[in-house]
Amino acid sequence: MEAIIDKPLEKTAPVAFSFSGFRQIFTPFGKLSRQNVAIMIVLQVLITLLVWHTTSNGLIPKPGNVASAFGKLLTTKLLLDNMLVSLVLTLKAMLYSILITLFFAYASVIPFFKSIAQFIVKCRYLTLTGLIFIFTLLTKDGSALKLSLLVFGIVPFFTTSFLAVILNIDKQEYELCKTLGYNNWQTLYEVIIVGKADQVFEILRQNFAISWLMITMVEGLSMSEGGIGSLLIKYNKYNDLTNVIALQLVIFLIGLCFDFLLGSMRHWLFPHSKLKQATS
Amino acid sequence: MTTHIKDKTLLQANNVSLQYDGNIILRDINFCIKDIIRPGMQQGQVISLIGRSGIGKTQLFKILSGLQQPTGGSVTIHNGQRVQAGDMGVIFQNYYLFEWRTVYQSLLLAAQKNSALKRNETTMIEQYARSFHLEAELKKYPQQLSGGQRQRASIIQQLLKGSDFLLLDEPFSGLDVCVLDNVTDLLLQVSVSDELKTLIIVSHDITTSVAISDTVLIMGNEAGKSGATIKKEIDLVERDLAWKKDIKKEKAFIDTVEEIKACL
Repeated sequence: MEAIIDKPLEKTAPVAFSFSGFRQIFTPFGKLSRQNVAIMIVLQVLITLLVWHTTSNGLIPKPGNVASAFGKLLTTKLLLDNMLVSLVLTLKAMLYSILITLFFAYASVIPFFKSIAQFIVKCRYLTLTGLIFIFTLLTKDGSALKLSLLVFGIVPFFTTSFLAVILNIDKQEYELCKTLGYNNWQTLYEVIIVGKADQVFEILRQNFAISWLMITMVEGLSMSEGGIGSLLIKYNKYNDLTNVIALQLVIFLIGLCFDFLLGSMRHWLFPHSKLKQATS
Repeated sequence: MTTHIKDKTLLQANNVSLQYDGNIILRDINFCIKDIIRPGMQQGQVISLIGRSGIGKTQLFKILSGLQQPTGGSVTIHNGQRVQAGDMGVIFQNYYLFEWRTVYQSLLLAAQKNSALKRNETTMIEQYARSFHLEAELKKYPQQLSGGQRQRASIIQQLLKGSDFLLLDEPFSGLDVCVLDNVTDLLLQVSVSDELKTLIIVSHDITTSVAISDTVLIMGNEAGKSGATIKKEIDLVERDLAWKKDIKKEKAFIDTVEEIKACL
């Protein structure tokens, strides 16, 4: 028998700068070189800063003032302490949320748990504000209140995302398991638990923004422990808009760092996820 | 005609029918696959199931593989046991493999399901990989493989599982002429690997399927009756058209292909 020698396709993208290529920035499905992308982003940022600078009046701080406040904030212990409080709380909430989500999502293939998982999905329509008093009665202190509110707020979004992953599983994945003689429990393990493990990181990445958004709200409920949320509320209270925007910038950058970190961890732990992204 | 004996029944389809929402898709499917013994030779069977696109071949494929239950009738293998998912090796049209497993891991999962390979899984994987020219690809993920490499990995996976039956859904679909020859050689290589090895090829590529088969089952509709059935069974061994190289050039072969086309 002769070997069938055929190599997989390799994707190539333009790398160098060219003026003709740069015109593609306004062309549907246009392809840009890396240099052109970098130039485009720098231009976009400069235009934004210019518009911001020229349109800001006495109330809205100018970019230079925000940059100066941002620089000062980074050197203070106040920011570090509050940031650590918020990060610890967020990470704790994310950990509990993902454990609860995984349990109900994996169990959703068992009829008894399916309806429970579907109910959790619907719970995303509930507002946290209306449940604060009930949670205050159920928890022993401010710290537990914040954590439980965060978990309650995050779980429905995590579950919604993960159930969507399970529902979109290719039927052939189950059929391959059956042809290999797997029973239903082995199929659950192979296709959903092992096969979709990389998606857990993707869901964490996509939904980190939600938990980060909620933390500023829940930290306002118990300000004695500090946190970025409570710091933001304090600055807002005194109309210190320069520091508010500088703090927003910090929050934004931390979000970006987490986005990158979780994406990198996913690719490092599950190399096939990188290949899937490259071929899609 | 080549000397041969048709021995015990390997697979039997009895009055298989399938309905969806009251629509008859398949009806009265009856056929029998027997072990063909050629004196002094070890050789399995190759059966082609031919029919037009959309006639219900894939449904019958799924019923034969045990992935779908028929509305009526049964498919039995060996000593009359009803076929169940896992009894047959199945190679899907797009050669599906677990995207999160390397080729080696996928093959190991299949080998671990075969009690006959206990403690020899790695050796057998390496042996098959060598025979199918996939040694360099064992550590790769399916996304890194070409179509041909995926197909070979998929076949090895099902061979390692150890089933006597191998069902192939449109294995020649979308292949260019050069690759087509390699694939047919590959299937013939698999078919002669064991006396009981039985390949059932579901295809609409008449010439290629018939050239490597010993039996052809033609699926089609009969006038005035809804639902597809086996319209005709052609024993290529009796016609002296089986197990021959360059059979496509023979007049009898060309006539048989025309006969099949007329039947569709």
